[in-house]
Amino acid sequence: MYETNFHKAATAQEAAALLNRSEDGKILAGGQTLIPTMKQRLADPTDVIDVSAAADLRGITIAGDQVTIGAMTTHAEVAGHAALAALCPSICKLAANIGDPAVRHRGTIGGSLANNDPAADYPAAALALNARIHTTSREIAADDFFEGMFTTALEDDEIITAVSFTAPAKGGYGKFPNPASRYAMAGVFVAKLADGSARVAVTGAGEDGVHRHDGLEAALSADWAASAVDGVEISLDGLLSDLHGNAAYRANLVKVMAKRALG
Amino acid sequence: MSAAASLPHDAARQHVSGSARYVDDIPTPQGTLHLAFGLSSCAAGQIRSVDLSAVRACPGVHLVLEAKDLPYANDVSPSAHDEPLLADGHVHYAGQPIFLVVAESHHLARRATRLAKVEITAEPAILTIEQALTAESRFEDGPRIYTKGTPQSAMKGAIHRLQGQINLGGQEHFYLEGQAALALPGDHGDMVIHSSTQHPTEIQHKVAEALNIAQHAVRVEVRRMGGGFGGKESQGNALAVACALAASFTGRPCKMRYDRDDDFIITGKRHDCRIDYDVGFDDSGRVQTLEFAHYFRCGWALDLSLPVADRAMLHADNAYDLPHVKITSHRLKTNTQSATAFRGFGGPQGMVGIERVMDHIAHSLSCDPAEVRRRNYYPEMSSKPAARPSVTPYQMEVTDFILGDMTESLLQRCDYHARKVEVARWNASHALLKRGIAFSPVKFGISFTLTHLNQAGALVQIYTDGSVLINHGGTEMGQGLFQKLTQVAARSLGAQQAVIRASATDTSKVPNTSATAASSGADLNGMAVQAACDTLIGRLKDHVAAQHGVKPEEITFAEGQVTAPGLVLTWQEVIASAYEARISLSATGFYKTPEIAWDRIKGAGQPFLYFAYGAAVTEVVIDTLTGENRILRCDILHDCGASLNPALDVGQIEGGFVQGAGWLTTEELVWDASGQLKTHAPSTYKIPACSDRPEIFNVDLWPGQNAQKTIYRSKAVGEPPFMHGISAFLALSNAVAACGPHYPDLQAPANSEEVFNAVARARGSAS
Amino acid sequence: MSKKKHVTLNVNGKTEEFLAEPRELLIYTLRERLNITGPHIGCETSHCGACTVTIDGKSVKSCTMFAVQAEGAEITTIEGIGGPDNLHPLQEAFKEHHGLQCGYCTPGMITRATKLLEEIPNPTEAEIRFGMAGNLCRCTGYQNIVKSIQAAAAQMSAAKEAAE
Repeated sequence: MYETNFHKAATAQEAAALLNRSEDGKILAGGQTLIPTMKQRLADPTDVIDVSAAADLRGITIAGDQVTIGAMTTHAEVAGHAALAALCPSICKLAANIGDPAVRHRGTIGGSLANNDPAADYPAAALALNARIHTTSREIAADDFFEGMFTTALEDDEIITAVSFTAPAKGGYGKFPNPASRYAMAGVFVAKLADGSARVAVTGAGEDGVHRHDGLEAALSADWAASAVDGVEISLDGLLSDLHGNAAYRANLVKVMAKRALG
Repeated sequence: MSAAASLPHDAARQHVSGSARYVDDIPTPQGTLHLAFGLSSCAAGQIRSVDLSAVRACPGVHLVLEAKDLPYANDVSPSAHDEPLLADGHVHYAGQPIFLVVAESHHLARRATRLAKVEITAEPAILTIEQALTAESRFEDGPRIYTKGTPQSAMKGAIHRLQGQINLGGQEHFYLEGQAALALPGDHGDMVIHSSTQHPTEIQHKVAEALNIAQHAVRVEVRRMGGGFGGKESQGNALAVACALAASFTGRPCKMRYDRDDDFIITGKRHDCRIDYDVGFDDSGRVQTLEFAHYFRCGWALDLSLPVADRAMLHADNAYDLPHVKITSHRLKTNTQSATAFRGFGGPQGMVGIERVMDHIAHSLSCDPAEVRRRNYYPEMSSKPAARPSVTPYQMEVTDFILGDMTESLLQRCDYHARKVEVARWNASHALLKRGIAFSPVKFGISFTLTHLNQAGALVQIYTDGSVLINHGGTEMGQGLFQKLTQVAARSLGAQQAVIRASATDTSKVPNTSATAASSGADLNGMAVQAACDTLIGRLKDHVAAQHGVKPEEITFAEGQVTAPGLVLTWQEVIASAYEARISLSATGFYKTPEIAWDRIKGAGQPFLYFAYGAAVTEVVIDTLTGENRILRCDILHDCGASLNPALDVGQIEGGFVQGAGWLTTEELVWDASGQLKTHAPSTYKIPACSDRPEIFNVDLWPGQNAQKTIYRSKAVGEPPFMHGISAFLALSNAVAACGPHYPDLQAPANSEEVFNAVARARGSAS
Repeated sequence: MSKKKHVTLNVNGKTEEFLAEPRELLIYTLRERLNITGPHIGCETSHCGACTVTIDGKSVKSCTMFAVQAEGAEITTIEGIGGPDNLHPLQEAFKEHHGLQCGYCTPGMITRATKLLEEIPNPTEAEIRFGMAGNLCRCTGYQNIVKSIQAAAAQMSAAKEAAE
């Protein structure tokens, strides 16, 4: 691991200021991705800014059908939140199946979204739920936030503070985990929005990370049923072939996971 | 009796409280230096230049060594002297150590390695079995061939004939404790080594060679390993030799442990292989003739590949009496990690070959696979002597065969036939999920095939308070050997279990030991411990007889009491008085396995003292949409002879099954086209987790005893249960076969994608 | 040069203060700085769980946390759960039910299990599978680990009932 400097921020704004001042700083949320990446020397931040003490980044608030989840909320907290589970069980279930118990105690939703690992779970949820990503300087629609694997619309000194979304009428997540890493080899989040339209986001399977699937959205907008998925062609174009599975296998998984997401 | 009690592991109390020390836990003296290797990133090539100036200039770096700096032998191979510690001119695989950094901390040493500038002119790398065959890149001058009968001409008379091929992946040991060593320099140039090794004597020899000192100047101590599984039979040599060299150069203690990624990338694994088969059989499924071709990918150096590939040939028959058989074994040299010992030592690969043949025959005849297997069994030990005893493909008589009875017993106790019907009924009503059930037997030969290794020594010392310290050549890697041997000592001495302790394995106490391998630990060392105890008991009886006027043969030592007509003494009283009478209270014991003789070139003889047997039935379910699968139930009946410790033996069986099933299902090693290992961490290489174990798991021990005079008539248990995992693979094949008319032709590891593809093959819809 | 940070931890009831580089991982702090070697280094990638400790009441893999992140935290390692002569019921159960072979995963396994039994005092077999998913064992096949946890759960529940 390369050398680095450590700072602890008490608020999101302080963190943003520290980030702005640092040469090549990184926000340290739960550290479940950043620390392994630094260990492998794939990341070399001059400074890491720990935001675990920033109270304004924590907590889940629910107002009617509006959900806001603070960026530093851990997977375990999302998984175990009773009110959220009553309103939007799919996201709780998603959180409950990330990594393992110890990872869920440290890993955070903000960290997951900011990192935008191409096989992470939360990006699929955010994209399918048409979530808004709140940062220290603005609000970004999920459609504009994810820009390809490990790339987001975040500016260098911008920090995610929360993610908010309207609870969908229906939603679900189907995930085929890589048995070793437990990241998604194919994860499909389906959401039926209040207006009846369907949004479908796929993670783990694409060469360029999380993406929406037009074919599945059209089919499910017309008919919110597993049988509607049958007729959808999952193109191999842009799907990942790697040591864990080839594109044809992943295309099949996308379809099956979409059905599982529909319950 | 104490030898058969299910006592916990000897250090269980220390393990559960975190106070059991592994090499990396031993408090090190001040000034200890830490080592790291600089590795080749190229699979094959000539080293053009090595610029280590930046490494040397790195603060905290004390010493940097290349091959040319080594004063004496640059070799860490177990036998063939073909494995340099540091690459000498050429690199032979991606991951090969080129230079050694000695620095003030583990992290400093690792970081410094990255400052090197190494130029290598790449040469075409031979990576696959096919490439090796094309290039005639092999060990030995040609394939080894064992033949029984006249397999070729017998094929003309065969009623049915099938040909096929199965690919078997390798396996990373993934011992939880990575390789580690610590060298402490002493007086006279002596060296004390703490090593996580199954083979302290080999470490001693390699260190002595590297330092050009006598073997008596090197003492190797092994208290325990955090798992070995064969991966610490020879793979620890490099670390121990490196530490000894660095300690010799610097005069300071030196320690090395591999990071997990390095451990994956540097060390050898189970041999992957391809097995081709061509079998002729009759209407009942009886094999008439069979030819196997084994293609073993051995990696860049010989290591233990010859005996591993031999053992695969020796288990190509498994439990089956094959009238005509030919086994051809190719040992291919490739630019990959040098494949090494792994639990079963080639036996599992050979056994999968024949079990695949049985599965294929049963499928083609639509016969019950368990029944086809039974029809091919060797004659039962209890049956009337046949006119001519059945012999294996290597001309050894099979005289202790008990699988007929064991199979019947297992099939009954797990309700095999009814469950098979139920599985078929269930499958008929489920379109997407399919279940499968399969039976497989194990007959595993016990003894080192290199005959001279079948020897062991022990040192038993009684102190004046009556406490007993036993030492022996075996190493503790979790299998419970130390506890078994304290139980043997307690029983042999008639002393209470509580007064006996096994000390760390130490080359200065028991010399010239064999590796703790080939499942032989308790067999060999148990007999040696017993021999030492018998010597001591002989002396003590003579002493008690002389002192109390009784006959030696009237005296009994049991449970800490010494009794004779009209006499009751405690163990402690006898020991105290023996000391005062100047009786020697320490003794050595020695054992060599009788009867065995083996010619590996001819492929004939008696390589094994006996066979260990077992049988398993496993039921699985697959999801035909994704290939996901899980083990629903496993029933095992296993033969440990008269078990030395039933609980420890059951633990070996459970762990062996899960590890074997892991090998054949989820554990996949992937190299890229340039020879880089791409699966080098648990994030990419999947070993079984808690959720992968069978939901229902019944393990029973066969209530028998060894026909041979082994230690208290027990049988070896380390490796044989590993092969029960084959039943999980066969159950997957059975489930896939429920999807369509064609043979699934399942390949290993049968991960989800492979099962998914096999479903398509069974349906005839494979692209 | 990075700036060292002052760190104060409470480990197994004892306050520890030291200066650490930010990149120092907690597992190294425990093992090399504090000589607490029960937590082991298995994979260093937060998969195997051999380094599992409890931080402020939660199971954490100490290989994937900087020591500086733990500033002010209460840390419990296997040594803090019970010593060789003062075993916690889970430790006793792992010993008696053969929940270990090589023992390398055992400290992390038991440390995690103490939290599992706080989260779910009488876990089902399925809950144990799920709750222990982050701790790998290469020797036992997990059968006796599950048995040990179940036995400890039963014993602890009985003891609790008796106390009430």
